[in-house]
Amino acid sequence: MIEADSLRKTYGDFPAVVGSTFDVERGEIFGIVGPNGAGKTTTLKMIAGLIEPSAGSATVAGFDAEDPEMRRSLGFLPEESPLYEDMTARSYLDFFADLYDVPSETATERIEETLDRLELDHRDRRLGDVSKGMKRKVAIARSLVNDPDVLVYDEPASGLDPLTTNYVLEFVRELRDAGKTVLFSAHNLYHVESVCDRVAIMNRGEIVARGTVPEIRERYGTTEYRVFTSVPVPAFETDPAGDRHVTTVADMAAVERVREAAGEAGGEVVDIRTDEPSLEEIFLDLAAETVDGPRGAQ
Amino acid sequence: MTAPPPSDRLRDGLRAVARIARWEVGRSAGVVDRRTAALGLVALLLAGAVGGATLATGGAALDRDVYRIGVAADSPYHEVVRESPALAARPPDLGSLGRSVEVVVRDDQFYVADSRKAEAALSSFRSAVRRHNLNQMEAEENVSAAFPVVVTLRYADRGGSPGAVADGGSGTETGAGTGGVAGDDPASGDETRSGGDDGSESEGGSDGGDGGADDTADTAGGTGGTDGSLGVPFLGGSLLGGGNSGSPADISPPFPFGALVLAFVFFVPMNFVIQPYGSSILNERINRRGELLLVAPVSPTAIVAGKTLPYLATLVGLTAVIALAIGGGLTSVAAVAPIAALYLAATFVGGMFARSFKELTFVTVTISVFLTSYAFVPAIFTNVTPIALISPLTLVVHDLQGTGVTAAQYAFSTGPFYVGAAVLFTLGVGVYREEDMFTQRPVPLKFLDALDSRIAGPRSMAVLSALAIPFVFIVELLAIAVLFVLPVDVSIPLLLLVVAGVEEVAKSVHVYAGFENDFTNRRTLRTALILGSLSGLGFFLGEKLTAVVQFVGLPDLALGQAAFTPVGVGSAAALGLLVAPLVLHATTTSIAALGASRSRNWYFAALVPATLLHAAYNFAVVSVLG
Repeated sequence: MIEADSLRKTYGDFPAVVGSTFDVERGEIFGIVGPNGAGKTTTLKMIAGLIEPSAGSATVAGFDAEDPEMRRSLGFLPEESPLYEDMTARSYLDFFADLYDVPSETATERIEETLDRLELDHRDRRLGDVSKGMKRKVAIARSLVNDPDVLVYDEPASGLDPLTTNYVLEFVRELRDAGKTVLFSAHNLYHVESVCDRVAIMNRGEIVARGTVPEIRERYGTTEYRVFTSVPVPAFETDPAGDRHVTTVADMAAVERVREAAGEAGGEVVDIRTDEPSLEEIFLDLAAETVDGPRGAQ
Repeated sequence: MTAPPPSDRLRDGLRAVARIARWEVGRSAGVVDRRTAALGLVALLLAGAVGGATLATGGAALDRDVYRIGVAADSPYHEVVRESPALAARPPDLGSLGRSVEVVVRDDQFYVADSRKAEAALSSFRSAVRRHNLNQMEAEENVSAAFPVVVTLRYADRGGSPGAVADGGSGTETGAGTGGVAGDDPASGDETRSGGDDGSESEGGSDGGDGGADDTADTAGGTGGTDGSLGVPFLGGSLLGGGNSGSPADISPPFPFGALVLAFVFFVPMNFVIQPYGSSILNERINRRGELLLVAPVSPTAIVAGKTLPYLATLVGLTAVIALAIGGGLTSVAAVAPIAALYLAATFVGGMFARSFKELTFVTVTISVFLTSYAFVPAIFTNVTPIALISPLTLVVHDLQGTGVTAAQYAFSTGPFYVGAAVLFTLGVGVYREEDMFTQRPVPLKFLDALDSRIAGPRSMAVLSALAIPFVFIVELLAIAVLFVLPVDVSIPLLLLVVAGVEEVAKSVHVYAGFENDFTNRRTLRTALILGSLSGLGFFLGEKLTAVVQFVGLPDLALGQAAFTPVGVGSAAALGLLVAPLVLHATTTSIAALGASRSRNWYFAALVPATLLHAAYNFAVVSVLG
C-alpha cells in the first residue's frame, strides 16, 4: 500500500532524509523510530504529499504521493494537532468530511460511530475547551472521516497520559485488524515494539535497520543463551544460581559444548533460556555506531 | 491511476472553494459571540439610521438655524430663509434685534444688529438670496434670458509646468458682457449675473465669482447648491476637455472636494475587513493549524480562494451599497472592486509573510496607508491632469461628477490593480505549502521564498520579470505623481533615476532569489548571463503592456514622456529604438545577475552600475527625443 523509493529531502546543504526505501503491506502496522531530528516526520510528510521530495518517489494506494487524489485514500495525523478551537468536535469533523466529499448521511453515521469508539464526550463543546487527550481523539477521528485505506500517524500518543496512550495504541491495533494500513512514528520504542508488525530505525536521516522486530533482533542484536546445569561446567565461566549453575554463551554450538562438558562432569543441563535485547538496546547501539559520521555519509 | 478530466477537476475545485468559503463564513461568525454581534448590529443600524437621516435631510448641517432672521411670512425673503439651513425665520420685530434676531427685514429695509454674529448672519443671508435667485434663473425656460453671458472654460496644455495648476490655463468667454459688477446687495432683490465687461476671464477657473465681497462663501454655497442634497459638485462636463460652465457662479477651483470625500467612504470598510482576513490567514500558520487543510484533497489555490471569497464578496457588496447611497453607479463599483482585490491580495501576502500578529498589524497598517495614499492623492487632480487616472478612485470621482469614463481609462486605472492583485495572490499561493507556511523566516526571506516558489527553470526569470510590470508601473506612476510638483528641470532627472532603480530591482530580485535557492549549485558567469538576459527579455516584453498609456494621453505630459518614452512605446522615433531597450535591459540585468550569483552584498553593489547605466540611457533617449 505504501512504497518509498530512495526518498531524499535536503534543505539547502542539509540532508534531512537520505535515501529512505521501504514498503508497507496492506493491513500492516509499520513503525518508524529514531531520535529527534532523525528524519521520521519529514519521511512521513513526504509519504503524505505534504513535502516534495528532493529525490526519489513514494506511492500510496497506487497513487503518486504528490497526486491530490491520493489524499482521498489517506488519513494523516500530525504530531501536533492544533484544531480550530472555535469549532465543536462535531462541526470540525463535519467540515472535513465535506472536504473529502463524504455524503452527509454517511458522514454523520461515520463520525458518530468513530466518536463512540473513541469514547469521545463533549461533542458539541468548543475544541478550545476540551482536554489534550480529547483533542487528540478528535484529531484521530478526523483522520478517519474519509474512511481511508492508509493511515499515516506521526507520534499518535505523543504527550498523552498512559491511560490514553494505551487506548490510542489499542485503537491503532483495531484499525489494523479492520484492514487499514498504518505507518506511524514514535519516540517510545515500547509502543513500536508492542504494536508494529515491522519497523524501520532511522538515524541522521537514514534508515539504519528495517524488518520485523525479531528479524532486527536477530540481525542487529546479540542473543545470549543462559544454560543452567546441575554441576559446575569445567572450561566455561560458570556462576552459581541457587542450587544450579548458569553458563552464558553466544550461540547454539556453544550450548552443545556446555551440554557435553556438563555430562563429562557428571551433571546435566536442566534449563536453557534466551536473553534477547530490547528494540531500545538495538536502537541505542545503532545510533552509537552512526553518531560520529557526517549526516548522510554513512 | 487515470487522472480526472479537466472539467471534473474544475468542478471539484469550485466545490472545494465554496465549501471552504462557507466554512470561513461560519468560523468568522462563530468567533463573535451573540451579544457582541447584537451590539455590533445595533451600532450598524444606528449608524445607518443617522447616515440615512443625514442624507435624507440634505446632509449634515452643523450650522443649522444658527442665524435668526426676522422676516414676515408673506415677504419674498421668507422663502429664502426657509430654504437655507443656517437661517431661521422669526417675527420681524425690531425690538428683538440684537437679542433674539440678528437681522430684521421690514418694508424692504434691512436692519442689522451691531455684532459680529449679525454681520455673519447678513453675509449668510446675502449668499442665500444669491442662491435662491440663481435657482430661480436656472428654472427659467429661456436660458439666454436668465444667463445672457455664457463662459466656456478651456484648459490649455500646461506642458508639465507645475505653475499651471494655479493659473488654470486660459479662460475664454463667449457671449456679450453686460458690464458692471454684480450687485450683491440682498436689499435690491434683483441681483443679476454677468461676466466682466471686457469679455475675458483673467482668472480662469480659480475665480469665477462676481467680485462680491463674500465670494468665498458664495463659491462654497454654490457648489452645494448646484449638486443637490449630497453636495457633489457639478462641473458641467470635464474641465479637461473644456465645457460649458453654465453660469459664472458655477466656476470654481477644479478640486472635487465633495466627490473625493464621498469616494473616500469606499475605503472605510476595506480597512476593517482586511483585519479579520489577515488574522484568518495568519491563524492557519500559527501552530501549524492549517496543515490538515493542506493534506485534504483540495489545492492551496482552492483553500486561498475559499478563504478570500467571503471577504471579497463582503467588500464588493458594501461597495455597491455605498455606491447606491452616495449616488455612484456601476462605474464606481467596478472601479473600487480592483482596489478591494489589491487590498486583500496585499493583506494575504502580508499574512503569509508575517511571523506574528504584531508583524501582521504593521503590514496591514502599511498596506492601508500606502494604498489609500496611492488611490486618494492622485484623485485630487481628477479635473486637472491625466495623471490622476493612475488611481481608480479618479474613476469614482468622474462617476460621481456625472462625467463619463472610457474603457481605455478604466483599463489604465484598474489594470495595474487587477494584475497586481493576481500576481500577489500567485506569489502567496506559491508559499501556501507545508515547507514555507510554518517557518519563522524574516519577511524579506519569505519574499524571496515566494519568488523562488515560482521559479521552475531559467524561463521563469522572463515570466517573473514580466509579472513585475504592474508593480513597476504603480511605483513609477506614483513617482510621477510625487515629483509632479517639482520644477521640470529637477523632476525629470530625478524621475529617470528612480525609474531606472525601480526597474533594475524588479528585473533582478527574482534572479537573486533563484541564486539563493534553485541555482545555488550553478553560480557561474554563464548562468548569470543567461538568467540576466532572459529576465531582461521578459521585462522588455512586459513593458510593451505600458502601451495602454497611449490610450489616455499620459505621454502628452513631459513627465509621462520621460517615464515611458525610453522603453520604446512613445513616438514613432522611439519605435526606431525598439532593439535598444532590449539590449539595455539584458545588459543591466546581467550586471545585477552577476552580482546576485556571488552574494547579497555583491548583488546590491551590482545594482548601482546597472541603475546608473539604465538612467544614463533613459536620459540620453529623453534628450534625443526632446
